[in-house]
Amino acid sequence: MDLQQGSIKDLWKAIYNTGDLHHCFNCSTCLSGCPASHGDPPLLVRNLARKVILGLEEELLNDDTPWACVSCSKCEEMCPMDVKPFEMILAIRQWQSANDETRVPPSIVEIYKRGYTQAVGVNTDLRDKLGLPELKTITNNPEQLQFFREMLMKTPVVSANDYMFGG
Amino acid sequence: MELCLFLGCNTPAIRPDVERAIRATMPVLGIDLVDSDNYVCCPAFGAFPSTDIDSWLATSGWNLSIAEEKGCDFVVQCGSCYSSLRMGREHMMHHADKMARVNELLEPTGRTVTGKSKVRHVSEVLYKEIGPETIAGQVKKSLKGLHGIVQYPCHTLFPSEVVGFEESARAPKGMRQLVEALGATVDSYSRELQCCGGAGGFMKSTPEQAIEFAKTKFDAILDETKADFIAVSCITCLMHMENVQNTLNKRVGEERYKIPVFDYNQLLALCLGFDPKQVASICNVSRDSVLSRI
Repeated sequence: MDLQQGSIKDLWKAIYNTGDLHHCFNCSTCLSGCPASHGDPPLLVRNLARKVILGLEEELLNDDTPWACVSCSKCEEMCPMDVKPFEMILAIRQWQSANDETRVPPSIVEIYKRGYTQAVGVNTDLRDKLGLPELKTITNNPEQLQFFREMLMKTPVVSANDYMFGG
Repeated sequence: MELCLFLGCNTPAIRPDVERAIRATMPVLGIDLVDSDNYVCCPAFGAFPSTDIDSWLATSGWNLSIAEEKGCDFVVQCGSCYSSLRMGREHMMHHADKMARVNELLEPTGRTVTGKSKVRHVSEVLYKEIGPETIAGQVKKSLKGLHGIVQYPCHTLFPSEVVGFEESARAPKGMRQLVEALGATVDSYSRELQCCGGAGGFMKSTPEQAIEFAKTKFDAILDETKADFIAVSCITCLMHMENVQNTLNKRVGEERYKIPVFDYNQLLALCLGFDPKQVASICNVSRDSVLSRI
């Protein structure tokens, strides 16, 4: 953690505006059982909380570790101070995505285009063989897919990055 | 009882035999499944929940509106879908402004959401709604003589106040009792509650460390149990716990890691007498050692 760099006093309000965050006393219970804490670099949830509280903007913008989270939410269960660390990780990702378009996950473009992150319902031969019915997917329903896209177009991430979505 | 089946993406796209197992078994146990036409991504935590609240909750709201229109709760197998839908609903139920915003976004699509439909995990429906005793009474082919271990889906345990249904998330019992109901012996081991590590960005960002992390779990299974199989109830656990074993074998240069992995509904389907070719045919770790003994 580089404390020499400039810090922004109220950055936490822009990222994770909850008083509970300030109850974090760096006990590290959030690391116990966290798979991504074994990564390289490790996801150290308590350090992220500290960076948010201290307002280390540049360091936080460049931090990839929130994206290594597996979403198991064990930290959320174990945190003795109710910081809700998993919600904090999502909030940091949201703030990064809003301030750096290269952080916007490509998967949302897939969801916009076909409703899912991958091709659902196209394995018709295999489904047939297994005795499964045809799936009524949104990918194959142009009217519903259009409604879905128009709804998403009104949300911050899609409207701010509309060039990614072909319009 | 009627439940709306939320399939997510991995199950229908990559492991439709799990879908077949769910569709085959639940009606036998008194649960009629209704399809979720035009559902969309849950949304996955790495997608809209990582960009902004509006797109996250609008997508959750789109899905929840489908169950509400059918007048029943969702039943979900995928851990991530279950947790994402639960958390999305929770946000809306506890924040009237968020619920109002979602309905504003949904309005032009002809949909509404009130939160009247809940989101239930398939293992919770089996454990709490149907119960191990009822399941045991339906078994035609028992797993007697086989040893198994269970992998609890993290997304059904934590945070317990949002997703939980066990008396204690730190000492869950459901999966164990469900597998025991099929006649198998469930062995305990030191890393039973360790996450499989397969979801999110861990495997993608630092695969070396993610595989080492999984290895600690598999070594504990091999050293401490007589497991003939692993029972999971999450599509990510299923795929990851198979794939990791193959990767580990390549590293050690021998077939050391070869424990078959089954979704619980697949084991249930086999015990209810359904055809293995339909309900348990897709795997990356051979299941023959178990199938030949049922």
